[in-house]
Amino acid sequence: MRRGKTCEAADRPMTDTTQTTTAKLSLGAHRSRRWQVLPLIEIVVLVTGLLLPFVLKDYLTIYATRVLILCLFALSFDLVWGYAGIMSFGQAVFFGTAGYGVALLARDLGVTSILLVLPAGLLIGFAFALLLGGFLLLGRHPSSVIFVSLGTLTGSYAADRVARGWYYLGGQNGIPSIPQMNLGSYDITEGPVYYYLVLGILLLVYLLCRFLVRSQFGLALAGLRENEQRIAFFGYQVQRIKAIIFSFAGAIAGLAGSLFAFHEGFVWPNMLGVVISTQVVLYVLFGGSGTLIGAVIGTIAIEAVSFWLSDSYQDIWPIILGMLLLLVILFRPAGLVSLVLSERERVGDFGRPPGKADRGSS
Amino acid sequence: MDNLFVALFEILSFGAIVVLVVLGLGIIASMMGIFNFAQGEFVLLGAYVTYVVHSAGLPVWLGMLAAPFVVGALGFVLERSIVRRFYAAPIVAMLGTYALGLIIREIVRGLIGGLYLSVPEPLGGSVNIGTMHFATWRLVIVLITALVMIGSYLLLARTAFGLRIRASLENPALARASGISTSAIYGATFAFGAALAGLAGALIVPVFSLFADLGLRFLIQGFVAVMVGGIGSFAGPVAGAGVIGTLAAALPWVMPPVIADVLVFVLAIIFIKFRPQGLVSARGV
Repeated sequence: MRRGKTCEAADRPMTDTTQTTTAKLSLGAHRSRRWQVLPLIEIVVLVTGLLLPFVLKDYLTIYATRVLILCLFALSFDLVWGYAGIMSFGQAVFFGTAGYGVALLARDLGVTSILLVLPAGLLIGFAFALLLGGFLLLGRHPSSVIFVSLGTLTGSYAADRVARGWYYLGGQNGIPSIPQMNLGSYDITEGPVYYYLVLGILLLVYLLCRFLVRSQFGLALAGLRENEQRIAFFGYQVQRIKAIIFSFAGAIAGLAGSLFAFHEGFVWPNMLGVVISTQVVLYVLFGGSGTLIGAVIGTIAIEAVSFWLSDSYQDIWPIILGMLLLLVILFRPAGLVSLVLSERERVGDFGRPPGKADRGSS
Repeated sequence: MDNLFVALFEILSFGAIVVLVVLGLGIIASMMGIFNFAQGEFVLLGAYVTYVVHSAGLPVWLGMLAAPFVVGALGFVLERSIVRRFYAAPIVAMLGTYALGLIIREIVRGLIGGLYLSVPEPLGGSVNIGTMHFATWRLVIVLITALVMIGSYLLLARTAFGLRIRASLENPALARASGISTSAIYGATFAFGAALAGLAGALIVPVFSLFADLGLRFLIQGFVAVMVGGIGSFAGPVAGAGVIGTLAAALPWVMPPVIADVLVFVLAIIFIKFRPQGLVSARGV
């Protein structure tokens, strides 16, 4: 298993990794000749997303909007786990605090302009991720993977408890009936308008992430995911890179959270808690961590099946979900997308530093 | 003065419960280097077995006796079939055991519905000393925890089997070279850890009643306790469990429960951040 390698990497002989590196380098030379599947999948998903409201009934469009928001949320988790190898079991903290933040803005200050609330959500997510990530990741002792996952999980659990017990935040019931988001005097109501708004934001964020993970920074991320120690020996500030990507992902989760809060019209403590935090882990693992489109596909697949089964099999659905997850972890650690995507393309190649000539194949 | 003793007893009995849950978790974490996310569900299963035996008309204590064996056997089967594939990769192990836990939890939820089911205490009433009353069942829990701790310690420190366990813990490769089947030891250890969780579940079900999310709370508490105590020794997780259990039970007496609950976790995480090796950093028993 790929993660297995990461952990044993310190004991492995040098040659092993050298081979991988040469394999990656030679990729660049072959890529123009290879027929690429990844862009094809991305375009199919995008076109499907664009056409969906024309074929779906109204209430289904609303459901699809929610799924798209969750896709955005899944992207944020995929960035930290799939690309940087930071196990964040508490991604919902940023999702939820941003949701609560914009809900409070709307309730107490009457701020509902989209130009204010979305950046506010983004900032709240970013700030909380910077705080939590900074505390967990930075410092004199490099943090173990277990500690980070435990810390984020605990953070999520604690945030849930605080929200439940704090009267100002509505306690168990959360904050109901948040007013609608608006642009000038135009109310953005749920339905096709909200759908396309979310789709546009998702596309924008997706492209931004795609650029990021294929840049030199993305290469450093992939490196520290595969072997943190070696990247540190190269002179990279490993902990700082991790904190940066963690905060960036937190900002995306915050954006998703604020969109979610206005779309649903209310926020409640579960939004912060362990349940949503682990849900997003399921989405990404199922779809395929380490590819951005995998996070999107995983979210859509799980939510679609869940909707389809919700009438008759609601009780056994979580059991099926657990078994699916177990099967994926055991037999398809690279997720659903690995069924059609070759390992080569999944690893991909990265932007080169400017001014360097192509090194050719080995 | 009397109130103080009653409070101390409450704290002690809750600490004992946490120790019982954490002991299994800690043994698995120390031996195999993985965190078993299904441990909370083993607690739930222990509680469920007790409930099933009780509702079949048999005495409750019989269910409590059966629970560790049933859960231990299940743990053994799961280890042999699934969990053993995860040993090389702690994060995959987390996710895999989380999936296992999810399956167990949802099956139990399906079986009991979203209900809170109560199971009576096998020993009701209270022990009176002067004007103070101590619930008998809580006394029993404290007593059994003490016995289990002593038993586990003796097993690890004084028997040939314990020596094998310690050998595989300290240096698996050398243990294998000396003819110890580490794979069999791992299976037995996992089953033992699961059985302890099952016993914990069986003992606490009269106090907490049976509901599907029973295990979740103990899971996070258990993890934090193991990390605070330190992985790799017998004393570490026990010490961590003692600290976390005591704090979790003591703080609500002096501040609102919600703040106390969160504060325990925040303090624990800060502690681990600055002392990653935990309270007890030595390896061995």
